[in-house]
Amino acid sequence: MNKRLFVIALITLLSLTLLTPVLAQDSGDITLRWRTRPDNQEEADVYQAISDAIDAEWDGVTLRYEAGGTETAGYQDTLITEIEAGTAPDVFWIPGTDIARFAEAGLILNLAEYAAADEDFSVEDFVEQPMFHLTFSQDGEPALWGLPRDVSSFAIYYNIDLFDQAGIDYPGGENWDWEAFREAAEEITALGGDIRGFGMNNWWANYGYWLNAAGSSFFTEDLRSCGLDNENTVVALEFLSSLYKDGLAVPYGEDAEGPFRAGNVGMFINGRWATPGMTQVDFNWNVAELPAGPAGQSNWVFWGAYVVNAKTEHPEEAWELLTRLTSPEVQGQVAALGANIPSRVSEEALEVFLNTFPELGLNNQAFLNGLSYGVPETPVWFGSWSDIDNAYFNGVAEVINGDLSPQEFADTICTEVDQFFEE
Amino acid sequence: MATLTKPQAKSAFTPSLVLLLSMIWALAIAVYSIYLAWRIFNAEAFDVRESLGNTVQYFFGFLSLVPAVLGIFSALGFALLITNPERLNLYQRIADHELPPAQGIDRIPLLGRYVFLGLNYLGTVLSAFYLLHLWDVFIGLDEVAEAIYENRVLLWGLVGAYLLFWLSGKIIRLQRTLELIALAVGSISFILLLLFSGVHEALIYIAGQYDSLIVWIVTAVVIIFGIFTYNALQMGRTFGETPEQSIGWQGWMLVSPNVIGFGLFLAGPLLLSFYLSFTNAKVGQVPKFNGLENYTTIFSLQLREQKPEHQYPIEALDSDYSIVHTYKLGNTRYVLGARDARFWLSLENTLQFCLMLVPLATIPAIGLAVVLNSQLPGVKFYRALYFLPSVAAVVGTALIWRTALYSSQIGYLNYAIEQIINATNAIFGTDIENPQFGWLIDSRLQLFSVVLLTAWQIIGFNTVLFLAGLQGIPNALYEAASVDGASRWQQFRHITLPLLAPTTFFVVVTTIINALQVFNEPYVLYSREQQVPDTVATAVYHLYLKAFQSTSGNELGAASGFGYASAVAWVLFALIFSVTLLQFRVSRSGEER
Repeated sequence: MNKRLFVIALITLLSLTLLTPVLAQDSGDITLRWRTRPDNQEEADVYQAISDAIDAEWDGVTLRYEAGGTETAGYQDTLITEIEAGTAPDVFWIPGTDIARFAEAGLILNLAEYAAADEDFSVEDFVEQPMFHLTFSQDGEPALWGLPRDVSSFAIYYNIDLFDQAGIDYPGGENWDWEAFREAAEEITALGGDIRGFGMNNWWANYGYWLNAAGSSFFTEDLRSCGLDNENTVVALEFLSSLYKDGLAVPYGEDAEGPFRAGNVGMFINGRWATPGMTQVDFNWNVAELPAGPAGQSNWVFWGAYVVNAKTEHPEEAWELLTRLTSPEVQGQVAALGANIPSRVSEEALEVFLNTFPELGLNNQAFLNGLSYGVPETPVWFGSWSDIDNAYFNGVAEVINGDLSPQEFADTICTEVDQFFEE
Repeated sequence: MATLTKPQAKSAFTPSLVLLLSMIWALAIAVYSIYLAWRIFNAEAFDVRESLGNTVQYFFGFLSLVPAVLGIFSALGFALLITNPERLNLYQRIADHELPPAQGIDRIPLLGRYVFLGLNYLGTVLSAFYLLHLWDVFIGLDEVAEAIYENRVLLWGLVGAYLLFWLSGKIIRLQRTLELIALAVGSISFILLLLFSGVHEALIYIAGQYDSLIVWIVTAVVIIFGIFTYNALQMGRTFGETPEQSIGWQGWMLVSPNVIGFGLFLAGPLLLSFYLSFTNAKVGQVPKFNGLENYTTIFSLQLREQKPEHQYPIEALDSDYSIVHTYKLGNTRYVLGARDARFWLSLENTLQFCLMLVPLATIPAIGLAVVLNSQLPGVKFYRALYFLPSVAAVVGTALIWRTALYSSQIGYLNYAIEQIINATNAIFGTDIENPQFGWLIDSRLQLFSVVLLTAWQIIGFNTVLFLAGLQGIPNALYEAASVDGASRWQQFRHITLPLLAPTTFFVVVTTIINALQVFNEPYVLYSREQQVPDTVATAVYHLYLKAFQSTSGNELGAASGFGYASAVAWVLFALIFSVTLLQFRVSRSGEER
């Protein structure tokens, strides 16, 4: 190309770029990005609608909602990578167990000062158990790591048709304990073929329920060391492994949801998040509370929270977004999906939840009862949850597969796990 | 050769003016680099110290002094020419072939020009990337892709245009008209696709970024770097460049995208991970140098005897050690422990995985390749079919294997086994029990199940490699052998296998390397609702867990975070490197024999 022509072309290009600000739509709005991990498209659509509604009524701020990946581990890994690279959203949701590691690593903002300056905000407006962990402080300074989006608990999903075929009472009621549970599982398994009385998945909360209901616990009371070295652990694991050894359950380690949805399993433990998906099955079903163990009734209070990226450029607006995302109206909208329970102590929002799926006549109260005596999902502030979780997971699997006795597990697990707690 | 140095167009600028401007720009680069280095040393730029620590800060500081040295060097080269017009004249005469090239060429100006060219070229590329970053292009690409996907119906316009174009070749009478219609349909669909996908909004958004001064500055820098790169390319004549030298830098320009990509995305991260392996780097924290602590943690092993006072093997070990294995020799039980026992268990799994995978992924591949190399009807279809698993996304295929094949209750594998057993029992009156294998849950089968899936995925790829190898074997050899009365098996044993040896070697080496790096298959087969069990956790999975999951911010030992994971990665690299080296040695000594 002729050099003169080249220079002229460049100058023209430069002049054109000079014009671009004139073309630019500079609304002056602050843009906030926020993200959750929806379980399905329907949930993603609800969050998008919530985002659009807030955006429309909030002057000076533009919201961009991002639906995060649905794979369990990938969501948090992506966030961590993005936070390191400085490209993470301003506000995002993370599960309760991750709060401690995100806070300790300085990835999320301590919102205590913004909350203190906000007259409309009160910690008491939210369910107590998650707020205990969300306001946990290691150094004595006031702390608020986020606001709970929603809470959830486990229930027994049961196949009414199989119970009718076996001619036995449905789960629940006053005498609904481990013994009654086992009897029901035996009767249903006796129907023969591929039918099994019971099924559950094998991530921590599943075996955790049996341990808790027997009076054991993942952690000691101060949450600073392993709490499984006791006889209650042995009782729980003996009972649980006998269900598998006697062929009453879907093999341990296999996804039990498929066989349950295929109509081959009598009772299946899962959280409230599984309910919307269950509307697709072609048998009659309902939910009941988990059976009472030797130490009484037990369950989990699952929760996750909206938190603020420590590197956000707009912390004040991010805090306001948190309060708007957890307002009674928004919680009602999310509760109407039927997948989770509002985290706000609000009769109105709870009423919305209790009235979900009226056509199915579901025992929605079972989940609320579960919350009332449930053990909160615990962020580990004094150790590495990932390593602890890994050790518990493999140890329990060894017990149920018969490679380790419940007694040996109870005697040795804390020796292995205590190295993952701080001194 | 002489045609390569084409005569230059008359320029608006004299060579000495261009040289002077270039010299000033080279000095400007040097001055800015020194300023940048000073800022980095004072930790004012890039917040390097906050995210990566002192060592990386100093490294970047020294790195940014390199352009300063190079800039000064090229400025010196230009100065030599500017101050010596005779030399300039001499060079031009050499370039115009009035004088032979060897005469009186001073290497410094020429070398200076190459350095200047390289600096400006790199400057253009890097500042262009930075500009794209400032435009938010990298985070906006997703949205553009999504928008185009939403308007995918308009892609039919492009298909229609292609069909019309194809038709125009068939109907000669209407060729010109059809071509024009095709062009119009194609262009309109493309423009509509861009418009509906919001490309104009993207452009407006980019324009909106120009409300910040830095975007203007970077844009200007890209343009200036670009102009000087173009100029430096055109200055061959001024420096008396010979055609051979011109070909030399053209070669470098051709490989430069790869070299830059390698430097930025491979060599850089490799170097960084090597450095991080000597630190306690964790997400969100400033890494601190901790010497060999990560490596000592990995290699901390203990072999202890389990004494009568020890009820359980773990009691024989120190408190921060976990069990890797227990061994019984006579009446004595020994306990092998490690500080990171899961690393050793995962390494063992990886080696077992490798030992099972290599024969399963190569031997059937040779057999398949021999069959597919024949002239059987439909063989092309089967070649494509067997290659399909290699191109299918591992996440999708692993999910299918997990639910449809491996489920012990509703999986097709167990169903097939059950049918075979039922048929056998019915025909032969036997009483074989249905084992109902727990493919993913029985600890004795879990690793094998992962191997089976992986072998299924890579057999197709290996088959294609073997096919290529087979097609390189001259047919005459087989013809001669059959004349001599060699059977099919003898031909395979004595012609095919030996001549396939180089391919086999390549296939085995790549399969071993892939096997030692396996991550996707166990991760997808297991980790949706649960962790990967210890029995199938591989070394790379372990390092992923350590890097991303064990990110607790507290001072818990050293065995977690990016630093520790990097150390694991380098230990794994050393292992893979040694295995490959050993294979090369063995292969070479085999060839020599």
